[in-house]
Amino acid sequence: MAKRVMLDGNEAASEALRLARIKVVSAYPVTPQTPISEKLADYVADGSLQAKYIRVESEHTAMAAAIGAQLTGVRAATATSSIGLALMHEICGAAAGLRIPIVMPVVNRSLAAPWSLWCDHQDAMVERDQGWMQLYAENCQEVLDLILIAYRTTEQNDVLLPVMVCLDGFFLSHTTEAIMLPEQAEVDAYLPPYINKNLRLDPDDPMFINALCPTSEFSEMRYQQQIGMKNAMRALPASMAEFAAQFGRSYDLIEAYRTDDAEAVLIGLGTMCGTMKYVVDKYRAAGRKVGMVKILSYRPFPVERLCAALENVPNIGVLDRSAGLGNIGGPVCTDVRAALSTYLPGRSASSFLAGLAGRDITPGTVSRAFDLLLAGEKFSKTFWMDTNTDAALTMRTAPATSAGQKEVL
Amino acid sequence: MKQIKIFGLGGQGVVTAAKVFAKAVALGEGRNALSIPAYGHERRGAPVYSDLILDDEPIKLRSFVYEPDVVIIFDLSVLDKGVDVMKGASSDTLFIVNAESLPAHLPFAGHPVRFVDAEKISLEELGRYIPNTTMLGAAAGAGLCGLEAMNEAIRTGFGAAWEANVKSAGRGYHELRGR
Repeated sequence: MAKRVMLDGNEAASEALRLARIKVVSAYPVTPQTPISEKLADYVADGSLQAKYIRVESEHTAMAAAIGAQLTGVRAATATSSIGLALMHEICGAAAGLRIPIVMPVVNRSLAAPWSLWCDHQDAMVERDQGWMQLYAENCQEVLDLILIAYRTTEQNDVLLPVMVCLDGFFLSHTTEAIMLPEQAEVDAYLPPYINKNLRLDPDDPMFINALCPTSEFSEMRYQQQIGMKNAMRALPASMAEFAAQFGRSYDLIEAYRTDDAEAVLIGLGTMCGTMKYVVDKYRAAGRKVGMVKILSYRPFPVERLCAALENVPNIGVLDRSAGLGNIGGPVCTDVRAALSTYLPGRSASSFLAGLAGRDITPGTVSRAFDLLLAGEKFSKTFWMDTNTDAALTMRTAPATSAGQKEVL
Repeated sequence: MKQIKIFGLGGQGVVTAAKVFAKAVALGEGRNALSIPAYGHERRGAPVYSDLILDDEPIKLRSFVYEPDVVIIFDLSVLDKGVDVMKGASSDTLFIVNAESLPAHLPFAGHPVRFVDAEKISLEELGRYIPNTTMLGAAAGAGLCGLEAMNEAIRTGFGAAWEANVKSAGRGYHELRGR
């Protein structure tokens, strides 16, 4: 029987990796992921996880070691955040191109500079086009469940894509709530032992993997990754249905919440979706027709499902948690607009930005966005919510005659 | 839904208290609870806070608390350190305060206030000024959670020191005063 236990998001991620019977851990601590690195080390030390823990010197090596380990035919795990993910960037591409089905919790945190420890989605957005699947959790239960679903999905031979399971730093990683923790036997029934049917490394019979690929073959190998994404779009809902049968909790690529007769809908990723639902309930109770759509799977991006949910919605807004610098919309909004223009020509979405570096996306933030949408306001260029844009235009200049500056000159 | 803010000083167990409180409500009473800690540049003695949401229904809201139904203050010196404990409070907001008595000049004097001398109790029971479990007992005394559920969460959350902490909570529960 599953147990109801009190866990934070980091603990939920650690439990999921243990339940998936990972055999190798190569992790490097970084705020706010550090408790995952520590917890997995505890599990290995107390024998509750039969795995080799490799204490690496960087995230770059953490991912490289995980790839090497997984190529020998075991589940290998790592986890990271922010600058750690940035340092891993090069090897993330290798994991994807080598079709290694690694599942990695990414505890979302802003990228420096300005230096910050707190949540936004910039770190994961930088990796968006690397060939990884990206799933975003709304609560601690989803962190655990999505990791198991991710393994079940990506280890299928026609998928084989690494998966980031993204959880908002602090808002999930350090927030405790009661979740259902399945028993090992239940997880074993859902998640069979990993069998490596693709590339395989054998120390007794070494081979070279990832040599220079000629131009004549590169496009075809990239195309295979795109086919993997296409297959994931089918395999992911199938894994979710099997998960629901086994554990009784249902998920989908997107979740449309009270959108049926909605006059305005907001779209988001991660914890902000819970706050959006909370506000939707309040507005509905007051007779105001709003709804929201949660994008659970951001890669692959379920464009047809999304557009079907938005077909009859006159006012659509997307709330991005990263800036999308130099464009007229944040990354999620830009993706939504591309989907709309393809499947629902003539339709577009307003671009809202909030929640950078731990700035809270409050019920007030969400309400303001709904109010603007209901009033028929359109934001083709990003509206920076909760941002003191006047102050931002005041340039702080160094005194020209300071001694420090003379020395430098 | 009850939205709660806990104010105190670094080292007084504010974050731990919110976690234990949430555990008591969720596991001990089968309701739902979120503890939402605010991590920043913590240091011992500096003002800190932690938020808590309790509900009979599943909790959708995922943000800090801005309009608290209950404000728990572990140490009134946070007022001298510039913390606005009144922020977002309504006339119904309940204040549960660590105090020997309640001077009339406090900003929440016109609100429902319950108080307990958690400094004295924790010094007597724990030998150290760590008011968190006494204040958890006080929160139970104010009807936010059953004492037995709170005690069970304390039993499993304080290692070898659980007994003295359960005793502190019991005294916080029984010695709570005010209206």
